[in-house]
This record gives sequence, structure tokens and C-alpha cells, in this order.
Amino acid sequence: MISFELSQQQKQIQQMTHWFAKNEIRPIAMEADRLERVPDDWLDKVNKMGVHLNTSSFGGGGGKNKSSKKKESKEKEGNRMGVLATEEMAWGCPAVALSLPGAGLGGPPVQSSGTPEQKERFLSIFTKDEPRWGAYALTEPEAGSDASGVRTSAEKVDGGYVLNGQKIFITNGGRASWVVVFATVDPSLGRAGQRAFVVEKGTPGFSCSRLAHKMGLRANETAELLLEDCFIPYENLLGGEELYEQNSNSTSPSGFQVAMKTFDSTRPIVAAMAVGIARAAYEYTVDIVQKEYPKQGRYFSLAAQTLAEAEQDIDAARLLTWEAAWKADVGKENAKEAAMCKAYAGQMAHDVTVKCLELLGPVGLDGHIVEKLFRDVKVFDIFEGTNEVQHLVTARRQYQPYGIRV
Amino acid sequence: MGERISDSIELMVIYTKLKKEECPLISFSPTEDESAFVDVAQGFAKDVIRPMARDCENNRAVDAEIIAKAEEIGVASLEFPEHWDGLELPLISQAQMFQALSYGDLAVVQGLPGAGDAASIIRLDPESPVFDAYKKAGQRGVWPNVAFIDAFNKEEPWAEEMQINKNGNGYTLNGVSHPVRLGAEAEYVAVAAVDTDDEPVVLWLQNPPGGERWSVKAGDYRLGLLSAGLAKLQFDDAGIQADEVLAQGDEARELITQGQTRIRVLQAAKAVGLMEAALEYATEYTAERKAFGKVIAQFQGVSFKIAKMAIETRIVNHLVWDAATKVDAGKKDAVEASLRALYRAHRSSLFVTDAAVQMLGGHGFVDEFPVEKWARDAQAQAGLYGRGHDLITRRGERIVNEATGAKRGVLQ
Repeated sequence: MISFELSQQQKQIQQMTHWFAKNEIRPIAMEADRLERVPDDWLDKVNKMGVHLNTSSFGGGGGKNKSSKKKESKEKEGNRMGVLATEEMAWGCPAVALSLPGAGLGGPPVQSSGTPEQKERFLSIFTKDEPRWGAYALTEPEAGSDASGVRTSAEKVDGGYVLNGQKIFITNGGRASWVVVFATVDPSLGRAGQRAFVVEKGTPGFSCSRLAHKMGLRANETAELLLEDCFIPYENLLGGEELYEQNSNSTSPSGFQVAMKTFDSTRPIVAAMAVGIARAAYEYTVDIVQKEYPKQGRYFSLAAQTLAEAEQDIDAARLLTWEAAWKADVGKENAKEAAMCKAYAGQMAHDVTVKCLELLGPVGLDGHIVEKLFRDVKVFDIFEGTNEVQHLVTARRQYQPYGIRV
Repeated sequence: MGERISDSIELMVIYTKLKKEECPLISFSPTEDESAFVDVAQGFAKDVIRPMARDCENNRAVDAEIIAKAEEIGVASLEFPEHWDGLELPLISQAQMFQALSYGDLAVVQGLPGAGDAASIIRLDPESPVFDAYKKAGQRGVWPNVAFIDAFNKEEPWAEEMQINKNGNGYTLNGVSHPVRLGAEAEYVAVAAVDTDDEPVVLWLQNPPGGERWSVKAGDYRLGLLSAGLAKLQFDDAGIQADEVLAQGDEARELITQGQTRIRVLQAAKAVGLMEAALEYATEYTAERKAFGKVIAQFQGVSFKIAKMAIETRIVNHLVWDAATKVDAGKKDAVEASLRALYRAHRSSLFVTDAAVQMLGGHGFVDEFPVEKWARDAQAQAGLYGRGHDLITRRGERIVNEATGAKRGVLQ
């Protein structure tokens, strides 16, 4: 049945995360942006509170959900929970939200493709007293959205692989306890040559060479990672050797699949963050307009139209995002919807923050959170696949029934 | 196809079930019964409505074969209450049905006979004796046409054209309406307006055979929705008796507000069907049409536009469903949801149908292909059901004026 009402549990998650975002994240958001880091004592505190950024704990990794074991008949709703909670966190501050301890984007590939031992080994560390992070490293200087162009090499040796290469734009990459690294055993094989490894902090030859200074999301660490003759044992090959052998004759090779499958569950999460940011800018601007604008005349009319457009665009993006998450929960193919919601939400959130800044005029430049949100939001139209890539994916799916590849 | 439609017993079972389900969880899944009906409606739309749409346009009327099949499905009585022998369906089910039908052709669906937009007024106050004659007429199995004149917003220039003066317990009606759907052959007229004393009023008039309570003004309609019976109605000192007054004052205001809300959702739903048709047609065409040695879908200027069309179509779909479920649940913000659903439906259907014409190039501009008609229909639909900026500004005024306007609905 078509319904956009939240279940009791969904409402609770939403209210809880909103409370946290309002009372814990918002108060440090502007300062964290200035410092370009989230204070360590704050991270310790929230870790003790048990707040993590684990997209897979909501079931982000392909609809797996802990509660489903208890009640087999109950519909999985982890992905929907994930987008609801994420929107609220990002409403607080996207940079701080992305810095929360947890497996982050590294979670879904481990959850969906890891062996039971790997899941236990790599995911259990996030329950410790010390805050810990996971990360996901796909992008290279020459390969970003074209994930099949990965050049980091994985040479098979006795007992494992030796990795060499450079990874850039890695969220929480410097502080991560482990990073899911995508590498190729043979670039001439294209996608078929790809493998996913879990590279642990402290592995000889593995280092963080630089932290990027950015337009926005400044409080969140974006790292450049180097892999120099880095030995990775078989146990850290995601899914184990068998996974790749099984798929060696298949047309959809596994390493690439791991990377792409991750996107189907993380793109709705990223879209939800964009929705949260747009909503934050919108609500802030509504407050100012309600308090400071004249109650009639040209500016009133301008504000009314602008804000109603913004509200509608935000809700449109949210509904697309919910649809992608719902599809994942009920086990339907969602690549098209995941791309659609990301394409729309990324662009929409940028446009909404622009409209809000425009309404605020020169006032918006000085100490108001909307200018930070504008800087933060731009990357949501870029990372996890640019807007253009999302349109490409959407178009590909649209033309699939006609048997052509665009 | 014909067999499935004629299986009206099965459809009745579906209709009965459609009213009962409940489930408070984010879900985009139509019920099995909704899907079953949509299947039937889609087949009808594709196999019967679509092929005859051009003829209907040329004849300025919906073909009798289409009307007969629509009656069989029960399209005219979806909104009517049960004791009217109606199906009394939730708006969310109706939205999906009209969406499926309009995928065949929007102008044809707009020209299907019956109560039209006035059905929503009837749904809201079915017990009123004002409707006795109409209800009786419908029991012959065919609902007579009703033209709905919405002149409620005094600021609209055409509202001034309608003068409604109180006259004892009734009214005297003068002036010309704006063009309305089903106006040409209307036997009944519903008027939502404000009288000269600034009091809201809803009137319900019948024109008995040979009667002269209003006249149909000949028009020069060329843009679109040409099979929808568009016409202006002229009233010259038409006397309205007390028993033709459906509601007055606050009661009328409430009735009109709720009626407009339902109408907006249903009209926006029809636009979704039109958009789906244009999107699919353009996708199929660009997947086959070759230029410069490859199918044109493989040029990004083309495929990206198709992707944008797909996204816009899905967005309007969701906003319509969101508004429909809010109306069904009696939510406070149902009015706002309907305003923005219709606003977006207008805006996006213009984009999608125009883009479809563009995708077909010169072929898009000529009448051997349906897309030029869809672009005209979309524009006519947007003209008929409210100016986009008016709809969105009205929503915006509520946001700016109400202290809680912005946050309402965000946190449930």
C-alpha cells in the first residue's frame, strides 16, 4: 500500500537523531568548520553515547537487517531508517555528521561482500570505547567517477597481494582503522581485474600523505592515501579468493560489483544528506523571513514564492530518496532510483542554498550557517558519482528495455 | 483486453478491497488490487484510447466506443459515494487510475462524460437534496455532464465576469464563465463563487431539456484538450431558487476548499499519465532513430534529457501520491500538498512534453506523431487548472505567515 507515513519505529529514529543533531551537532558546527576539524573530546563523548555513522547497521548493505532475524515476517526497513536518520544528522551539520565514528562508507562493502570472519573482525571494532572509523577508497587522480579505470595495482605474491598506488578524496581516510581499497590485478582486464581489499592502519607502506583543504565540509577529513609495496594477506581480500574465482568467468566481475553495489545503497544515503542540508538552509531562512521581512509587498511575494519552491524541491528529493531506500529494503533492483535521487538531491540542495542566500542578501555572508551549508553542499553533487554520472546511470537504465547501451 | 474489462464482477471485488487497507510505513507499493486495476486501465489506455485520440480531437468529442468502455470500468463513478452506486474510492487509488488512463490520452480522459470536477463536490456533501435530480438521472446508468465553474478567487479577472446577486432565498446569476471542461454538452452546472455581498456560495443548476438557463458561447479552441468539450457558459438574469443552493458562507468556503483540493490532486494525477506517455514515447523513439551512424540515444545531449524527463516524471508522481494520501488521511497540510502537486505537475508536464517534441525533431512538430498534441494538451491543462505561480505563491504565503509553517510535516 502506498504510504508516506512513518512507522512508530521510524518516527523514533527520526526524532532521536534530530534531537542529537540539534543539541550536539549544531552547537559545534560553525567552530568545527573554522578549525577544519571536529574536536577530539566531542568525538570521545559521542562515541560513549553510542552514536555512530554506520550506514550498514541500518541495513545499508543490501537490505540486511539485524531485527529481521528476530521476526522473519517483518519487512526490512533498514535502508529507510538509514535515510531518515542521515537526513537529520546532516541537518545538524554534514561535515560533523560524516566525521562521526563508525564504518562509514566502508561498512556496506564489508557487510555485503565480506566473509563472516571479515565482518566479525572489521565491524566489531566500532563497539569499542575508543572512537574508530572505517573508510572507502576508490578514487584516484586519474580515476574518479570512472571506477573501472582504477590503476592501483595488486600483485599476487605468496600469502597475499602487494598493493601499489595512490588514492585521493578519502573521507576519514587518515584516521580510519581500516580502508576498503579497490585495486586491479591487471589493468588490461578492465573491471574483471578488480579486487577489493581491507587495508589496515599501520600496514607497512600504507600512509596518509596529505589532508585536503576544501571549499566546504571543512570539518571533515579528506585524505590522500599512499600504498607503497604494501603487503595485504589473503585474509584481507574482501569476500576471499573464492568470490573472485567463482566470478572469473562471469561478465559482471566481483571487485567492480562490490564497488558499484556499494553505490546503490550509499547514494540514497548521500541524497538524504543533501536533503538534510537543503532543509537546514530552508528552515533557517524561513525563520529570518518570518521575523524580519515585511508582511506584504514585493519582498514578501518574492520570499513566499522562493520558499514554497524550495520546500517543494526538498520534499520531491526526499520522496525520490525514500523510494530508492524502500526498493533496497524490499529487495528490488534500485540502481536507477539510487542514481535518480542522488542526481536530483545533489543539484536541488545546491539550488536551494543558493536561493536562500539570495533571499538573505548581504546579511547572509556574515556568520550565518547558510553560507557554510552552501559551501558544504556543493560536493554532494560530485562525490559518490557526479551529477553527470547519475544522469548516465539513469539514462542507461531507461534505455535498458530497448537493448541499447548509452 | 476486452474480456478483462468486461469482467466487471472482478472489478467490483477490487473496488471493494481498495477502500480497506492500512499500513503506516513508507511504501511506494500499490496494493495488489490497485495494480490489477491499473493493468486493466493501462491496456484500455494503450489499445483503445491512444489509437483513437486523434480522431476524437478532430471530431471535438470523445468516441462512443471509448465512452462505453469507460462506463464499463466505472470511471465516471470513482469519486461518488456508495449510496449513489458510486465506488467511493480513496484519492490514492483514483490518482493511480486516472494516471493510467491519461497515459492513453489526456484530452480524451478530460472529455469523458459525467460529473467531471463536480464529482468531488458531490463526494463531500452527497446527502444534499440539491442533487436529487442528478442522482435520479444517473440511475439510468449514465451520469449527465456537469460543468464546474470555479470563480471563487475574486482576484482572478474572470471571477469578476460572474455576478451573483442575492435575491430573496435564492440568487440571480449574470455574466460569462471562463472556459470549462464538459461545458459544451453540460446538463448541469456547479458554481463555486463569492456573491456580491462577499459571501462564498456553491450553486447547483439544472438546464431542463429545451431550457435556457444558460447558453453556450461559441469559442475558438485550438491549443489543446480539444475533445474535452471546452466552452464558456453565459448567464443572463438566471434565477437560482433556494433549493439550488448547495452551501453558503463558511460552509461553502469549507466545501470549496476541500473540493478544490481533491480536484487539484486528480488533475495533477492525470498530468503524470501524460508525462509517462511522453517519456516512454521519446525514449523508444530515440532508442531507434539513427543519425551520424548511431542511435541518437547514444548522444549525451539526448540521453541526459531523457534522464531528466524520467526524474521529473517520477517527482510529480510522488508529489501527487503524497498529496492523495494526505487528503485521504485528513491531514492538515493536505491543501498545501495539493497546491504544490498541481504546481509541479503543470511545470514538469510542460517540460517533459516539450522535451518529447524536441527529441523527435521535425517529427515532433507534425501530427503523424502524438507528441505535438501532448505538448498542446499539457499547456491547455496548465491554463485550465490554475496559474503555476499563483499556486506556489499561495503555498508560500502560508509558510511565511505561519510561525510553524516551515517545519510542519518535516518531523512527524
